[in-house]
Amino acid sequence: MNGLAPRAVVPSEPVLRLQRRAFLACGGAGIGFAALQTLLARASGAEPSPLEVRGRPGFPQHAPRARRVIFLCMAGGPSHLETFDYKPELARLHGQPMPESYTRGQPIAQLQGQELHCQGPMTQFRRHGASGQWISDFLPWQARLADQICVVRSMVTEQINHDPAHTFMNTGSAISGRPSMGSWVTYGLGAETDELPAFVVLTSTGGRDPQPIASRQWSAGFLPSRFQGVEFHSAGDPIHYLRNPAGISAAQQRAVVDALHQLDRRRHAAIANPEIETRIAAYEMAYRMQTSVPELTSISREPASILELYGAQPGDGSYASNCLLARRLIERGVRFVHLYHRGWDHHGDLKRYMGICCGLTDRPTWALLTDLQARGLLDDTLVIWGGEFGRTPMFQGKGGPGRDHHIKGFSMWLAGGGIRGGTRYGATDELGYHAVENPVHIRDLHATMLHQLGIDHSRFSVPFQGLDMRLTGVEHARVVRDILA
Amino acid sequence: MKAQAAFIALTAAALAAPGITPPAGAAPGAKIDFNRDIRPVLSRNCFFCHGPDEAQRKAGLRLDQAASARADLGGYRAITPGEPQESEILSRITAHDPEERMPPPESGKELTPQEIARIRDWIQDGAAYAQHWAYTPPHKHPVPAVGDPGWPRGWIDRFLLARLDAETLSPSPQADPVTLVRRLYFDLTGLPPSPQEIEDFLGDARPDAWERLADRLLASPAFGEHLAVFWLDLVRFADTVGYHGDQDHNISPYRDYVIEAFNSGMPFDRFTREQLAGDLLPGAGLDQKIASGYNRLLQTSHEGGVQPKEYLAIYAADRVRNVSQVWLAATAGCAQCHDHKYDPISSRDFYALAAFFADIDEARHFSEGSNELPTARPPELDVLSARDRRILEQLDLEIARLSLTESESNSTGPDRDRLRRLEARRAALAASTRRTMVSVSTSPRPVRLLPRGDWLDESGALIEPALPSFLDAAPSASALDAPDSSAPRLTRLDLAEWITLPEKGAGLFTARVFANRFWNLGFGNGLSKTLDDFGGQGEAPVHPGLLDRLALEFVECGWDTKHLLRLIVTSQAYRQSSLEPSSLRTRDPENRLYARQSRYRLPAEALRDNALAVSGLLRREIGGASVKPYQPAGYYRHLNFPEREYRHHADLRQWRRGLYAHWQRQFLHPMLKAFDAPSREECAAQRPRSNTPTAAMVLLNDPTFVEASRCFAERVLREAPSHFGARIEFAFRLAVSRSPDPAEAKTLRELLEFHLQGYRDAPEEAEALLQVGSAPPRPGLSAIEVAAWTSVARALLNLSETVTRN
Repeated sequence: MNGLAPRAVVPSEPVLRLQRRAFLACGGAGIGFAALQTLLARASGAEPSPLEVRGRPGFPQHAPRARRVIFLCMAGGPSHLETFDYKPELARLHGQPMPESYTRGQPIAQLQGQELHCQGPMTQFRRHGASGQWISDFLPWQARLADQICVVRSMVTEQINHDPAHTFMNTGSAISGRPSMGSWVTYGLGAETDELPAFVVLTSTGGRDPQPIASRQWSAGFLPSRFQGVEFHSAGDPIHYLRNPAGISAAQQRAVVDALHQLDRRRHAAIANPEIETRIAAYEMAYRMQTSVPELTSISREPASILELYGAQPGDGSYASNCLLARRLIERGVRFVHLYHRGWDHHGDLKRYMGICCGLTDRPTWALLTDLQARGLLDDTLVIWGGEFGRTPMFQGKGGPGRDHHIKGFSMWLAGGGIRGGTRYGATDELGYHAVENPVHIRDLHATMLHQLGIDHSRFSVPFQGLDMRLTGVEHARVVRDILA
Repeated sequence: MKAQAAFIALTAAALAAPGITPPAGAAPGAKIDFNRDIRPVLSRNCFFCHGPDEAQRKAGLRLDQAASARADLGGYRAITPGEPQESEILSRITAHDPEERMPPPESGKELTPQEIARIRDWIQDGAAYAQHWAYTPPHKHPVPAVGDPGWPRGWIDRFLLARLDAETLSPSPQADPVTLVRRLYFDLTGLPPSPQEIEDFLGDARPDAWERLADRLLASPAFGEHLAVFWLDLVRFADTVGYHGDQDHNISPYRDYVIEAFNSGMPFDRFTREQLAGDLLPGAGLDQKIASGYNRLLQTSHEGGVQPKEYLAIYAADRVRNVSQVWLAATAGCAQCHDHKYDPISSRDFYALAAFFADIDEARHFSEGSNELPTARPPELDVLSARDRRILEQLDLEIARLSLTESESNSTGPDRDRLRRLEARRAALAASTRRTMVSVSTSPRPVRLLPRGDWLDESGALIEPALPSFLDAAPSASALDAPDSSAPRLTRLDLAEWITLPEKGAGLFTARVFANRFWNLGFGNGLSKTLDDFGGQGEAPVHPGLLDRLALEFVECGWDTKHLLRLIVTSQAYRQSSLEPSSLRTRDPENRLYARQSRYRLPAEALRDNALAVSGLLRREIGGASVKPYQPAGYYRHLNFPEREYRHHADLRQWRRGLYAHWQRQFLHPMLKAFDAPSREECAAQRPRSNTPTAAMVLLNDPTFVEASRCFAERVLREAPSHFGARIEFAFRLAVSRSPDPAEAKTLRELLEFHLQGYRDAPEEAEALLQVGSAPPRPGLSAIEVAAWTSVARALLNLSETVTRN
């Protein structure tokens, strides 16, 4: 915290007390009661629900440092050169032709066939915190996290267009049909709640012309479909078909479900189809979610100080509200929250759009980490920030100066969950083009994430179409041990 | 692929590994069989380093071939037939020293004591290798003798019963006729039988009533629609481009072609040729060109900044994956970056297969693709479906006839009016063409072997189209008049011929792949349960003799899909009860021995169609452009280029069958998705069958099902005598084809009373419920009664029995 955070909005003791009672504090009769029933049922040795999402036997495979993940995805690809990767030499060469030695034979996206010129950083950089991390003026709030985050400045990916790049970031492959990392993690570790999906996806409004995001990005691929991410919508029903049909009251819905159960049980007695029990459990959980999810997603019950901390307006669907929702989700046992902001594809007018996007995301990001830390949740929650790729050191001019897609070196940061804060790892060359020091491939990021969760990526595979499929694929992947606390 | 440790399996802890688990494996007392008992163990544990991939091979040893496995390695051999103690492999797999131990501990792989014992016995018995079962052409296994000759109706039953005899298991008794009729309707048409159709069958005392019913259903247009779903999953048919902006593209006439092909009984070999190479067939007509749209079904992108060269490489790989999976159940996609790890498919095979498609004109969309709906994917044609063209012909005849009459006699008013109407209809129909992507052959792009699949690396050799060499027993290029350097380049038509020719090509192998999938349509699982992988890592069939027989039958009957399905559904095995005695649940939990039928939740489309059929809303028009069912508002809000607002169809299209639903690859309709329909980005040979809270919410709350429930309720109130007993009887018969028992009737009566009371107290709520959907409420019915019966109908449509194929 560094004492940098305005004191007034730090969660108060009552909030912390609530956190300690987090389970029962989950609100109202809905979720708390049902969860309690489940617990009691388990304690009395009753059969677990057929729907309970258990982890793999023997998982976690080693003592985990993190129990859950919040992945903050800045879709579109934020510029590393205007956020975390300070390149004075690029400023010096501003306007000069880009030396061909950097770009020859390299994949290039929209700048194909064009003359390439250096584009200097479009903002100032300063050192922050005791660690002296270089962070740009676009991110004044994240700058306050300098001593908590580990900036990896040598990220490398393989896909230069958005859609496949997301697929690659999330599944380790550009081929459709592979499980998303959130699915992998919940498949391996199971859920800590049977009231909510273990893998939740949140998408935010606002920013530049938003990036399309395919539901493939949270697909369970070849894993059983209960491991797929469930998107919570910020407008309308938080989950599709959550609301009773018009003209059907809660009591009537209950009566229909009860009649259905009676009839199904009678049939089950006659034909002994175990699927019927699973079905009954599914309907029960669906019915419970009809109550618990609206309660969960209604952030208006949060104290004003918390809303202010994040800058969240209930119901606005903003990144700020989603950050707060992410905290509420992990408090209730959700394993993996994938939170998207979709405005980061800055081919032109980069300065303006960086201003907009950072304006929408910078403070809430700080607030999320601050809140998590105050509640003692940051220690075992791994938070990852970044886009599907970075942006070129070369000028692109769609409108005002901007930058094209770039995959050979870009920045991401990690925090919490056993990550050593206040550190930087790896480096790009002096123009910010190639990761030249300690490159970290997406696979390495996956391996490191799994490691913190207590999973050895090399021993976490599922047979599919004759292969032992892994999130980290078949190429070499390494846990980046240097960034671990 | 730096270290072998980098590719490591967690076999025990992960999903049940595909492979033989009792009792699907050996029959009691059977001899060790290399393919069934040994190959899967070696493949899973050893071939990664000692298999077909030369680059990865360790110590120069390969264990997938007898000669290499038995070769002198300098005073010792990996395998010395008959002498386990002289076989290095055995000492290595039993070694305690981690340095010696195989597979290496860091691989995470481990052999079970049973597997080690089996390998010892196999070496003792002479270590006989056998060609991988799927690379051996099917042959006519003798039909086995059985204990009870009264049970089997044909050779299918005899194969199954012989195995049950060996296991001392008995087949299940025949299911009751109502269950049977429902089963057959769902399996062949994807629709439920009407109460009248049930009555008709129950009243048919002829000995061949069952066969007659099967014939009738195979001849019904719904058959082609149902089989189309199976096919469209395989070939990844969808209405949108898939990548980035996921814009609509034009392809619906291809779906009509598929329906028509199944309905008309088009031989499967011709069906294959027309899709892969319809444009190259001599005298290709419009239908063949529409069929050639198969080659255009893949995902495409014109995202700003795509490099055409990269995407052409992506498309090539996509096609190789699909062709090899659909027709050969081969995972050739694995050979994009390296030789296959488990199957003898080389990288060269991969690129040679890709080269067949290098002539397809498709690069124009990189520049011409627009962010409009639909986008452009030239080349495209504006066409009428075969069905529409037939109607047009009939109209022409009729118009000609009427015109003649008119000119001959001073025709009367009605005739003239009719003529005018017909002409107007003809003009409308002729103008109702739809655009569709087709294959057009151009000068082929050069195809290079891409080292490690890297499209930027141009150091690889230029590769010409060549037939795959991995089906060792299937004659490849050499048999098809070996091409030499002067021979003309092989074409997609050559590939299609090779895939289907039984003698000169891989036709028998293709037939076996599809025999297995048709079996799956009738039994809910395949004879080999890996429907998409017949390679070394796939599951050897439980009944190889039966599978081979079915494959040969498929070819011999002229690739007649209906014939093969008829054979399956008229077997006694098909007619068994699906009830599962607890003894059988322990002995054969996955029903691999078929001592009973299977029971499983209906697929997504059938669930929708069933609710619409029961409610009376279902429309039965065949073919046409895709339709848009109700969908949650804002579901497409993450789509962009362009932004999209989904508008459901507010006319009769709303109630068409699920197979016509608009298939948005990036955001598949939530109902279809909740019930495991695939996104159709890749080949899907088998859908999972999940049972989730999300699916429960769909069936309870999706407006499609609420509206269907309300119309079902209206139907009950209008069509049944007006007392509860008759109404609930009528409703039950519509939903599950049987009468309710008194307890069931009582439960529903109480549910009805509860709702009647509630809606009497709040009639405006009843009105609100009636407004769900776009079907206007039927006049003359009490809103309170309709609303209360809607809840009864909802309970019935949600019943496990309603949504299960038993």
